[in-house]
Amino acid sequence: MSEFPTFEQAMQQMQGMLEKLPEMAPPMQMPPQQRADRATAVMVQNLDARFGTYLESCIHCGHCAEACHFFQVTGDPKYTPVHKLDLLRRTYRRESGPFRWLYRLFSQPITAEELADWKELAFDSCTMCGRCTLICPMGIDIAAMVHVVRESISAAGLAPPEIRAVEAEQATQDTVFGASPEKLKEVIGMLEQQAGIEIPLDREQAEMLVLTSGLDIMMNPRGLLATAKVLNHLGADWTLRSDGYESINFGAQVCDKEIHKDIARRRIDTAKKIGAKTLLLCECGHTYPALRWAEGIYQEPLPFEVIYISDYLGKQVQAGRLKLRRDGRSVTFHDPCKTGRVGGIFDQPRAVLEAMGDEVCETPDHKMTNFCCGGGGGGFLLNNLPLRSKVYQMKMQQFDATGADTVVTACGSCRLNFATAKMMLESERPIESLVELAADHLPDDEGWRRPG
Amino acid sequence: MSLLEFARGPAFQAAVAILVFGVFWRLLGVLTLRWGQRQTEPRASAAAGGVRTVFSRFWPRRGLSRNVRTGRFLGYLSHIGLALVVFGGVYHIETIHGVLGVAWPALPGSLISVAAVIALGAFLGLLGRRLMHPTVRFLSTWEDYFSWAVAVLPLVTGLLAGAGLGLDYATLLAIHILSAELLLIWLPFGKLFHGISFVPSRAFTGANYGRRGVKI
Repeated sequence: MSEFPTFEQAMQQMQGMLEKLPEMAPPMQMPPQQRADRATAVMVQNLDARFGTYLESCIHCGHCAEACHFFQVTGDPKYTPVHKLDLLRRTYRRESGPFRWLYRLFSQPITAEELADWKELAFDSCTMCGRCTLICPMGIDIAAMVHVVRESISAAGLAPPEIRAVEAEQATQDTVFGASPEKLKEVIGMLEQQAGIEIPLDREQAEMLVLTSGLDIMMNPRGLLATAKVLNHLGADWTLRSDGYESINFGAQVCDKEIHKDIARRRIDTAKKIGAKTLLLCECGHTYPALRWAEGIYQEPLPFEVIYISDYLGKQVQAGRLKLRRDGRSVTFHDPCKTGRVGGIFDQPRAVLEAMGDEVCETPDHKMTNFCCGGGGGGFLLNNLPLRSKVYQMKMQQFDATGADTVVTACGSCRLNFATAKMMLESERPIESLVELAADHLPDDEGWRRPG
Repeated sequence: MSLLEFARGPAFQAAVAILVFGVFWRLLGVLTLRWGQRQTEPRASAAAGGVRTVFSRFWPRRGLSRNVRTGRFLGYLSHIGLALVVFGGVYHIETIHGVLGVAWPALPGSLISVAAVIALGAFLGLLGRRLMHPTVRFLSTWEDYFSWAVAVLPLVTGLLAGAGLGLDYATLLAIHILSAELLLIWLPFGKLFHGISFVPSRAFTGANYGRRGVKI
C-alpha cells in the first residue's frame, strides 16, 4: 500500500481545509431573544425523568473534575464537567422541575450571551467522553446532558463555525469533507486499479452493508482498502452503496437531533433495501453510538445487526475464522471513548492484536478509564489547538509510560488527533489503525482480492 | 404551651407532614416527566446494570480514586456517623416508633456521643474542603452552605443538650428538636434530597450503560 499517502501526509493536506472551515459556515442571524427561546425549547424537549433525576441529585462535590482531561491539564475549575450543565440546570428548575413556580420568582431565564459563553465549555472543552460519568457518586451521566447543552447551543445558531460548516454540508450533501458518490467511485476505481482488488459497489442484494467515511474516502483510502481486503478474505457477502456509504453522522456529533435522525434513517433505508443482515461501521468511533445506540432516533427495532469494525474483527478472531500472521510487536491500544466506555467494546480489538502475536501494554488509565484522545465529539475540527495540545501531551505521556513501540486505535478521529500530537511533540512512535494492521497481517494468499 | 411542647407537638407534626408531602411532590414531579424511548437491541440486561450501579457507586472506581479520597472519606464518615446517631440513639428510636410503630435496640449513649463528634468533625472537614478546594468552592452556591448548616445544627444542638451545656436542658432539648425538624422540612427542597435521589440517579445510568454491556 506504499503508493498511497501515509496517514500523516494526508493529515497535513487536510489541515489546510480544516483551517478554512469557519469561513464556510452558513450565517445564523437571529435576534438574541430568538436564540435563547430556541435553546430553551430544545432543553425542555430533552428534559425527561432521567435527566430530571440527575439534575436533582448533584451535591457539588467536584469529583467529576478529577476525571476530566481538560480539567486535569489546566486545573481551571470552569472545566469541571458538572459546571457545563449550569444553563441546563437553571432551565430545568425554571421550566420542568417540581418547584418551577418557585424558581421562576428567583431566577432569570438563560440568555443568548450566556449560550455564546457556554460554547467553549460544551464544545471546545468537552468531548462527551463520559469519563466524568464514571466517577460521580450520584451516578449522574454528565456527558449525556452535555449532549443536550450542545444541541441547545446549536439550535441557537451558536455552535462553533467549524462544526456548523461540516454540519451544513452533511445536511445538504449527506456526506462530509466533499466525499461525494462520484468521489467514492473514483477512490474505489483507484484502489481496484492500484491494489488489484475488487471492491463491490452498488450490489442490489448483500448480507452486509459496509459504511465507510468521508475521512477514509478523502484522506485515508488505506482504511477502505484494508476493510475490503479483510472482508474479501473472510468471504463476506458485502457491498458498499453509493446511495448510502457515509458512516459519519454530524447530527450526532453536533447534537442536532433532526440531522442525526435524517442521516441514520437514510442508512437504515439503504440496509433494508438490499436486505442486509449486518451493517458494518468503519473506523470512526462516534458512528457506533450514533447508529447502534441511537435511542429515540428510530421508532422500531432494526431488522439488522449494527456492528463496529473492531467488534467484528475481534469476533471473527475469537470464532477462529480470522487467522493473522504473527510478528509479535509491543503495542498499546487506545480505546475510542464512543466504542469503549460508551459502547462496551474492549476485548475484541485486543483479541485481534493478540492474534497478531502482539504484546498489549496498557496505558496507566485504560479500557473503562481510558482518557479521550483530546479531540473527540468533533473537537478535532475546532481551531482551539492550545487547549487540545495540553491533552495531547498528557496522552503521549501515557503512551510513553507503556513502553510500547506502537499505538493502535480503531477510530479515524482519534488517529487524526494522535497524528497531530505526534507532529507537535515530535514523537517517533507510529499510530496505527486496527483494521489496517489486520489487513497487513492476512495470510499470504490471494483471497483478499475478490469478494466471497 | 412551652417551647418544648411546641417542638414535640405541632412543630413535629408539621415537619413530618412537610417532609412526606415534599418528598412525594419532588419525586413525582421528576419521575412523571417523559421517559426516554429504548428501541435498540440490548446487549445485556438493563435491570441488572441498574441494580449493580446503585451499589457499585458506593466506592470510587479503581483508577479514578486518586484525587477524591479525602472527599469520599469525609463523606463516608459524616454519613455513617449521622446514621448511627439518628437510628441508634434511644430517644430517636422512640420518636421513630411513635410515628412508624417500629423500633429496634438502641446503641449505648457513649457510642452515640462518639459517633456524633466524629460526624461533626467530618462535616467540619467537608466545609473546610468546600471553602478551600478551588473547584468545590467554584461550584458551591448558598444552598450548599445552607444545607450543610441544616445538617450540622441537630448534631451540635444534640451534643449540647446531651452535655447540658449553655441553657437549661428543656430549652436545649427544644432547640435540638426544632433543629432536627428544620432538617426534615428542608430535606425535600434542597440538596439533602440526594439521600433519596441517589438511588434512581445511579439506577438510570447503570441501566442505560448496562444494556450496552458496559459495567459502570
